[in-house]
Amino acid sequence: MSVLTFREATLPNGLRVIAEINREAKSTALGYFVRTGSRDELAGEEGVSHFLEHMVFKGTERRSAWDVNREFDEMGAKYNAFTNEELTVFYGAVLPEFAPRLLDLLSDLMRPALREDEFETERKVILEEIALYRDRPHFVLYERAQEAYFGRHPLAKPVLGTTESIEAMTRAQMAAYHARRYVPNNMTLAFAGNLDWDEMLALAERMTRGWTRGAAPRNHPGFTPEPRRLRTPYDKASQAYAVFVAPGHAAAAEERYAARVLADVLGDPDNGRLFWRLVDPGLVETAMAYHHEYEELGTFLVYLQGDPAHEEEVSARVREELQRLEKRGVEAEELERAKLKTATSLVFAGETSLSRLFYLGMGYSYTGRYEALDTVRRWVMHLEPYHLGELLEARPFSRALEYWLVPADHG
Amino acid sequence: MHTLDNGLRVAVEPQPWNPGLSFTILVPVGATSDPEERLGAASMLETWLWKGAGPRGARAFADALDALGVRRQSGAGVEYTTFSASLLPEGFSAALELYADLLMRPHLPDDAFESVRALALQELAALEDQPPRKLLVRLRREAFASPHGQPVEGERETLERMTPEALRGEYRRRYGAGGSVLAVSGGVDPDEVLRIAEKHLGAWSGDAPSPPAVRLTVPHRFHIEQETEQVQIGLFYKDVPPGHYDFYASRLAVAVLSGGMSSRLFTEVREKRGLVYAVSASPGSVKGFGYLTAYAGTMPERAQATLEVMEEEIERLAQGVTREELDRAKVGVRADLVLSGESSRARAGALARDLFILDRARSLEEVEAEVMDVTLERLNAFLAGRPYRDPWIGSLGTVEVGP
Repeated sequence: MSVLTFREATLPNGLRVIAEINREAKSTALGYFVRTGSRDELAGEEGVSHFLEHMVFKGTERRSAWDVNREFDEMGAKYNAFTNEELTVFYGAVLPEFAPRLLDLLSDLMRPALREDEFETERKVILEEIALYRDRPHFVLYERAQEAYFGRHPLAKPVLGTTESIEAMTRAQMAAYHARRYVPNNMTLAFAGNLDWDEMLALAERMTRGWTRGAAPRNHPGFTPEPRRLRTPYDKASQAYAVFVAPGHAAAAEERYAARVLADVLGDPDNGRLFWRLVDPGLVETAMAYHHEYEELGTFLVYLQGDPAHEEEVSARVREELQRLEKRGVEAEELERAKLKTATSLVFAGETSLSRLFYLGMGYSYTGRYEALDTVRRWVMHLEPYHLGELLEARPFSRALEYWLVPADHG
Repeated sequence: MHTLDNGLRVAVEPQPWNPGLSFTILVPVGATSDPEERLGAASMLETWLWKGAGPRGARAFADALDALGVRRQSGAGVEYTTFSASLLPEGFSAALELYADLLMRPHLPDDAFESVRALALQELAALEDQPPRKLLVRLRREAFASPHGQPVEGERETLERMTPEALRGEYRRRYGAGGSVLAVSGGVDPDEVLRIAEKHLGAWSGDAPSPPAVRLTVPHRFHIEQETEQVQIGLFYKDVPPGHYDFYASRLAVAVLSGGMSSRLFTEVREKRGLVYAVSASPGSVKGFGYLTAYAGTMPERAQATLEVMEEEIERLAQGVTREELDRAKVGVRADLVLSGESSRARAGALARDLFILDRARSLEEVEAEVMDVTLERLNAFLAGRPYRDPWIGSLGTVEVGP
């Protein structure tokens, strides 16, 4: 296997720069991980994080929107960006010879011009994106369940905002949000793959020299889940969609490895407990569980999709499985299988520089530490049934929110 | 590439640096070979195969794959069904033995049949909640007069009428080594792969029915009325088939049209006019035939304008592309090739598809050389001589787009 080296540095302006270097890799991936998202939006700013993510590609002092698109394509870059509740990430992968040029471009983009005419054009694109997701019931379900589960906690806010908030958004609001959140000490620049560390670090320093520090505070209010069952008819759904959301573990918590494997035992799509109780007998088309990690807390999510006629039966069976898991824990054999599958996945997660970049950047953004995929594998392979048992002692699934989105004629 | 005595073709691409391995088994069982009265059979069969094989029941079978750490994906498509697996090389022989059971010795048990049917019916119903996919399925159906237009998901009536006996008959008639493909990529030795393939799949018998010839309808418009937020728009154009002299020129033309964010469709439809969030064109092919589809989703009041810009941009290709556009398209294709070469799963999938479509596997180097070989003059001569025009046009939503 190739030799990996980890390097890290903090620039005078507070920007953290990290790299997992593999001189044999055929590509280089790099990205800015900005610790900002919908949870950091003030009243009236709903959706600004995501709208700004779009505006970042619409030009800077030095570049027009066309220049930006053209330059990415001249490098043949595979690039994109995404926004969630807590992070906004801009990334790209290129052949190693283009890495300095990609760094120059991405760094420049972090200081967007936010031109008024581009702002108006992009507002329409965002409204189209909101409309697109309204045609996708599983997304509507996720957004509503997130809102219901988190209540008054900032993680309840919709990432896309609402049609109303986007229609009312001003350029000045976006500029103020940018000034508050895109400060270097609130960002991580990460590299993975084939690169020259000294060259990249020097270039990053030069490109970001004018960036000034800021506070970028984030609220962590207390949160207590409120178990209940909710149900909404939706006129664009022909199937029934459901989630169970239960308290899990934070992105930096040691319990996260056990929590991920526990979710697999429950809801691996090929061989989890829910598969055999629900999909194998044909009650639902999809049954999955996963563990979602945030900064100070986490959630277990069970997702179901299928024939609305089976709603009661499915609901009862899921609750039965969750209770059984809480009462009896997991068996040694099923834990071994889930561990092995995770270990294999980690090998494949290491194949491409881009995939490595996500692991590296996300992990570091939350923990402030480098965690090699091999280290993750070791943690997972050392799990014993009692580690999972300890998580279950808190009876997380007894505090689950159950949310159903059903066709309008089943309401 | 190597062909076993029973007709199974095997391709191996070693990635010496890769600690993992992926393989894809492609069986030419898809919607194109579903009899008209049994639409959806290929898809149902794929689900049913997993309900026990060889000495193991369904659960023991899944457990055995898990014990090898196998990550798996499988599914039926228009022309074939694929079974893909990713795992560590030391488990390859044991995993292939399990897949040999699945393909050659499935139980296809009566008591699982009703749940297989229930899943198929739910999959079909779920299409109603995925407007873009629903439109593209219908677009294919409208454009092809041959079985290439048949829906992979089947139809309510055909799924409801299916019997275990009929589906077992489909298995016997269509699953076999002849026409099937095993492609392997990753940290493996090709000779070792061949030895293992021979050992576990060498006794697989049977031949797949040969694929039907492509026939098209006359280009026309259609509309599906549905209460959606966005109107879905789809276009279907004839294109050159894989293996054709102009194949790589056509691929570069699509890259100019819809490769990166400086491509024509993205620039004109989204960046300049803000008409959509999603707009794209993608090349497609079935054995012996190539096509181009374009897609956009937009709110009803902007649907007509969106369609007009899309059609105009696609027709404008006939006037040629610039040197800068071609250069960007080439560097984009080159980067895609290098990046896909990092992934064993992507390579195994591409090799398997090559063997099915072209009857040979292309290396990344060969594709790159062919792409780089297309000059501006050659591309523009192709575009002028074979313009993209006269498409099939479909819409789904609350308003119909029209001329």
